[in-house]
Amino acid sequence: MASATWKKVKGPGGWAVLAVVVVALLAVGIGRDTGTPTPEERVEAISKRLACPICDGESVFESRNNASSAIRNEIKQQVATGTASDDQIVTFIEQRYGGQVLLVPKSTGIDALVWALPAFAGVCAVAGLTVAFRRWKRAADTVPTDDDRALVAEARQEAADPDEP
Amino acid sequence: MSDPVEGARRRPVAPFVVLAVALAMGALFVVLAQSNSGQADTVQSYLLGKPAPTAVGTTLDGEPFDLARRKGSWVVLNFFDPTCVPCIEEHPELVTFSQDQAAVADGAELYTIVNRGSDDAVREFFDDNGGDWPVVSDPTGAISVNFGVAKVPETWIIDPNGVVRVRYPGTVTAEGLSTQLQSLREGGL
Repeated sequence: MASATWKKVKGPGGWAVLAVVVVALLAVGIGRDTGTPTPEERVEAISKRLACPICDGESVFESRNNASSAIRNEIKQQVATGTASDDQIVTFIEQRYGGQVLLVPKSTGIDALVWALPAFAGVCAVAGLTVAFRRWKRAADTVPTDDDRALVAEARQEAADPDEP
Repeated sequence: MSDPVEGARRRPVAPFVVLAVALAMGALFVVLAQSNSGQADTVQSYLLGKPAPTAVGTTLDGEPFDLARRKGSWVVLNFFDPTCVPCIEEHPELVTFSQDQAAVADGAELYTIVNRGSDDAVREFFDDNGGDWPVVSDPTGAISVNFGVAKVPETWIIDPNGVVRVRYPGTVTAEGLSTQLQSLREGGL
């Protein structure tokens, strides 16, 4: 009984339920409304998207040097003015300091490959594993030949009557 | 009946999958390797050939400064920090350049933009090392950001139409600046 239930869970129905749950959770996560961000939250979010232009491995949010401080002041000023979106402010800074200040690669042009290639590699890997698992399963499900059956029958007979030569 | 093991060997898929993944990862590596992550100095700027951005402030003498009101003159902006060694080394060149331009009919106006250091420290530096051109205080760094200045010293030339013509990251020489300005006046770059 338990075995039959487990078989059902492992079947296509189980996978379908799992897929629905995953998609629903993703949709909830993506569409989650966190409310309108405060100016401070916007400044923090924008400055975390920008790299300090004169140091390695630090965002404008973390860096304490003069250049980053000036950029934070500019972001605060533009957020306070309220006329530019977050993306527009990031673009303003990028135009002046160059593309190397972007901590998050753009999703357009050749930069989009940074996003697309790992996803492509992941799809290839999953497809490869699926093919490999199916092949192994097919090999495991091999139907015994008449010779196999005869061999098993002979072994059973020997086990049942060990004295017979 | 066909041998299933033999059947499985007939279509080797794994090498193709491995090849596809390797190609994808190789392409990713090439993209990342070609991205410009360095901090190399460059004379390129989004602003070159465009109207100069807003640059408004107050000089250390308390006079208002607005770059937009300097149209009609060649303007040289030097971004400076009194504690930066290259800035200190460059200063005598700027003193010479300022004197040279004072002797020319349409000599350029030189302004120093200071985003760091107290006003008193900057005044003391100019008193000790010479230089009587206006020094504009930029306490919030707004002028520096508008020009995209990350490191000092950095020097910019703005033409009489208010268009950004040249950017010099790093130190400049009096001769180099004067030669460049003369070339610009004559219609070159």
